[in-house]
Amino acid sequence: MIRFSHALWLFAACIFLAQTAPSADVGAIRPFDRDSFTQIRAAYAHKPLVVHIWGLTCGPCLVELPKWGQMRKAHPDMNLVLIQADEGSADAVEAAVEHAGLQGVESWSTRSEIDEFERASIDASWVGDMPRTLLISADGEVTTLKGVVDPSVIARWLAVDVQKAGKGVE
Amino acid sequence: MHRRSIGFILGFCLCPVLGTWAQTNAAPGQAPSNAPAPMHHHAQPEAGDCAGTDLKCATAVTPAFDAHNNLWIAWVAGGAVSVARSTDLGRTFIDATIIGRYGDLIDVGADAKPQLAIDAQGRAVVAYGVFKDKAYDAQVWIARSASIWAKEGPGFGAPRSLSADPASQRFPVLAFTSNGRLFAAWLDKRTVALARKQGRAQAGAALAYAWSDDAGATFSGETIAQDDTCECCRLALAFDARRQPVMVFRAIYDEHERDPAVIVLSSDGKPALQRRVAEDHWVIDGCPHHGPSVAVSSDGALHAAWFTQGNARQGLFYARSENHGQNFSDPIPIGNVARQPGRPSLLASGNNLWLAWKEFDGTHIYIKERHSSDAGRHWTNERIVAETDHAADHPVLIAHDGAVFLSWTTRDQGYRLIQLETT
Repeated sequence: MIRFSHALWLFAACIFLAQTAPSADVGAIRPFDRDSFTQIRAAYAHKPLVVHIWGLTCGPCLVELPKWGQMRKAHPDMNLVLIQADEGSADAVEAAVEHAGLQGVESWSTRSEIDEFERASIDASWVGDMPRTLLISADGEVTTLKGVVDPSVIARWLAVDVQKAGKGVE
Repeated sequence: MHRRSIGFILGFCLCPVLGTWAQTNAAPGQAPSNAPAPMHHHAQPEAGDCAGTDLKCATAVTPAFDAHNNLWIAWVAGGAVSVARSTDLGRTFIDATIIGRYGDLIDVGADAKPQLAIDAQGRAVVAYGVFKDKAYDAQVWIARSASIWAKEGPGFGAPRSLSADPASQRFPVLAFTSNGRLFAAWLDKRTVALARKQGRAQAGAALAYAWSDDAGATFSGETIAQDDTCECCRLALAFDARRQPVMVFRAIYDEHERDPAVIVLSSDGKPALQRRVAEDHWVIDGCPHHGPSVAVSSDGALHAAWFTQGNARQGLFYARSENHGQNFSDPIPIGNVARQPGRPSLLASGNNLWLAWKEFDGTHIYIKERHSSDAGRHWTNERIVAETDHAADHPVLIAHDGAVFLSWTTRDQGYRLIQLETT
């Protein structure tokens, strides 16, 4: 009986580890499903976070992606999570991410073009246009930028929000 | 016993983590393969879990009837483009044939459905986009069958490139006119590439087209009809009474406004008319991934349905033109704007019109429809035709033998052809 409950506890711990593993396992392309965004939000709770959503077959997204590589260099403390939302293999997503100078950034990808349920897990009003960027402040407030971003907007937000968050960013 | 339990549990628990690790480390330097890379999904079974080339794994399906009451469909699944035939209105399919295998390179977004057209003599053409380089430039491939009724099977020939131009081409649409000419249109990047070479910035893509008088064996008169189109939204095609192509598509105005436009192409190859359908002012430097629909009724009216997130209006809209596209009526909102109405499909048969679309309430996806028996002047109230709580294709309306059907595929219920009530 004791062994059984011990095993149950271990099982629960394992499930917890498996769920939180993504944020520790930086560098891999992770499959994005209906539960992934909740995991991302939980992993970065109380920290400012930038989520950039892009698509492999979205021309403006591919043109923009290297800008994010540059922004990451300019703001090495930025918590950045990428979500690829078109059809595409992990290989193709990884190649595009590396090409943009974003290797090592936490990166997720849908296996098929993102569906209604997956979109709703991020934003109930999102109809699928890309790219889009979510600026999530340490207190959980989400600002959505539709289309290609102006890097100065990100820089300003980071300056203000990181200050506000104080020790929120390592 | 205790040790074994822990070992089992650890193995179970590490599996997802190791799976991700193994997949990532296998990635670099591998050539694209026909088999999609395995990816883990822990939630409900969705499109990503279905890896085969069978119809049950298709996310986008295009239907066409032949003159012998067969329903043919083209679909993409598992990186392959396939066709199959049904003699029982889509309940069962036979003679499934793989046209081509492209692995991850196939352009398979739901707005990029494979195209299928069949003429009265049983000649068929399939068209689709395939990516050809790391910049995600694509090429439109076509495969044709000289007779889908041949005893030995439809016998589609080897796919070949529709255009000889090296620039990127995507989102083909094709259809036969009532006198058997084949018209093909697609989104083409050649003028954008040229502008870039000359140091000019040109947004989006261009609308290109060509004609074939031998059911797709050869095409002639390849022409750029218009620059500044959205590069990632499907094109909509219908013919008017003079067999002129009428196309509705998303165009780019003032650099970043992606609003619906109409073009009528005269048979001598010149655009007869180009107009903006509505001043929505959807400002976005990005991909809406959401194309319109068009139909022409017997009275000559043009009908357009489209989605927008414009400054002037947001949601799904319908408008009609009684002067062949010169002016369109004020846009009428369609569906429940709180439920992401979109993905319209318009169908005209005589002066009867049907409009189907997709809605999502957070837990269910619905296909709804409205019907007009006076060429779009008055419409019935909306009604739900089908629903699912799983991933689902865009709706396609298709007419055959006096009946109108919804053609739809969902992850849980597979492909279905659902007859609409026409009362």
